[in-house]
Amino acid sequence: MAQKKFRMRNWFWIPLCFLLFLVFTTKVALAKSDYVLPYPSAMPGSIFYKLNLIKEEVLRYWYFGDFGQFKYNLSKSDKYLVEAKTLFEYKQYFLGLNALYKSKGYYNKSYPFLLKAHNKGKDTRNNLILFESASVKHIEILLRMKSEIPEEFTWEPEKSSPTKLYLHKEIEDSIKARQK
Amino acid sequence: MKNILYISYFIFLCFVCFFSYLFIDSNLEFLSLFFSGFSSNNRFSTSVIYTGIIIIFFLFYLLFIRFFSKNKLNGKDIKKLIALTCIVLFFSYPAMLSYDIFNYIFTAKVAFFYHENPYIVMPNEFLNDPFLAFTRATNKIALYGPIWIILSGFPHFLGFGNFVLTLFGFKFVALAFYLLFLFILKKISVSDKAVLLFGLNPLVILEILVSAHNDIVMIFLVLFAMYIAKTKKMFYMIIFFALSLLIKYSTIALLPIFIYLFIKIVRNEQLNWSKIYLVSAALMFLVFLLSPIREEMYPWYTIWFLPFVALHYKNKIFNYLSISLCFGLLLGYIPFIYLGTYLEPTPTIKQIVTFVPSALFALFYVIKKKI
Repeated sequence: MAQKKFRMRNWFWIPLCFLLFLVFTTKVALAKSDYVLPYPSAMPGSIFYKLNLIKEEVLRYWYFGDFGQFKYNLSKSDKYLVEAKTLFEYKQYFLGLNALYKSKGYYNKSYPFLLKAHNKGKDTRNNLILFESASVKHIEILLRMKSEIPEEFTWEPEKSSPTKLYLHKEIEDSIKARQK
Repeated sequence: MKNILYISYFIFLCFVCFFSYLFIDSNLEFLSLFFSGFSSNNRFSTSVIYTGIIIIFFLFYLLFIRFFSKNKLNGKDIKKLIALTCIVLFFSYPAMLSYDIFNYIFTAKVAFFYHENPYIVMPNEFLNDPFLAFTRATNKIALYGPIWIILSGFPHFLGFGNFVLTLFGFKFVALAFYLLFLFILKKISVSDKAVLLFGLNPLVILEILVSAHNDIVMIFLVLFAMYIAKTKKMFYMIIFFALSLLIKYSTIALLPIFIYLFIKIVRNEQLNWSKIYLVSAALMFLVFLLSPIREEMYPWYTIWFLPFVALHYKNKIFNYLSISLCFGLLLGYIPFIYLGTYLEPTPTIKQIVTFVPSALFALFYVIKKKI
């Protein structure tokens, strides 16, 4: 009986200790910015990357409507910006530059949909705020990227002639697009 | 005697219809002509009247069941009572107990007026829309399946941009599916008892004919799929089951039943429909019990299992237990009507009030059995 009681006590203390451990060891993460960029998804070369490209094409139709298209283009712009940042961190400059082009392309496509919505009489105030905070965040990331990568890079593919990549110039262009 | 019953029931329904208009929201400018502010300014009186209405409604219901059992009411009378209920309550104000109808209307507007995807764009993104003043839970994307959204296009377009017409268009959809459902129920059960048990249940009447919940569409399609299964047309059975799933997803719980039906039909084996309805009731009741995981146990969710309970009309305990649950669920609205808040103590009182009638009935049954 006494042994049983002792066991019961053990069962009580184990979850309590675990809970206390969780309370004291878990860090509270507070977001610094109102606008949060997504986590990096699959990177080029992975099979999931190709699947993501297909998904992206399908979603283009799912996100119909002006607000839908605005959200779609902005989210893709975010995604490719994060992809570029990650690839640059791994010195994959050619792929990173491609992602940066894509991010800029999607970004440029998003605003006209807000204008279209506005012209149709839809209230675009909230989405405009979202767009502005996204622009600020994008510029913040782009400036950080610029400070971490070389100005130029010569990309030497195995079967063709070397190409010079003007990394800083492209980042500056991307920043300009966000500042318009 | 019958005429007295009809007249008193008609007067009562008219009063329910009138009472529903006391709940008009002050922000609902489209019906400002009928706005009195009574329900929000006289919470105690409103709660008392509502309680009285629920009690009288159930007394009528029990009386109909008793009269039917004693052959004082027949199938024709049931039809007349249902017709009377439909005619009077079609004109009731739908947002008396739930505001879901406004969400249906707004979701349809997002899709067909603004041409946006309601699964991506929330109603509150249209800041200048006048419907935002009275629609609740506007910070949510569409909760219902695509078939419901397509279907909601009919009342939306037939409303021609007029809010009141659209509102009653949605009520008409609920009414039409309620009648279609009863028609199929009669075909399946071959008895008016099942029609009476389901069709004149006060909870069904208030949640479908007054509040116009779309659960009736979902459950009609699933019952129609079962009806088709009897004729062994498997393709149509699958189609209608899928359509039902794409209204509100809850009928996914009946997937094992439909797989079982599919296998049995392929093998050309006999089906025990009584057992099928029983298991269906149990499965849908389980989904009903699990609904608090997602949100909360709303009274209109009982429509998911009530038809299968009604199909077991010979099992008295089963039916009376569900009636007591329906009674409790409708009483569960009282704390909100009286306190005007969804915050504590409303949820606690609601839970107690909801389950006390069923618990009392179960206790009464156990004691009676022992004696």
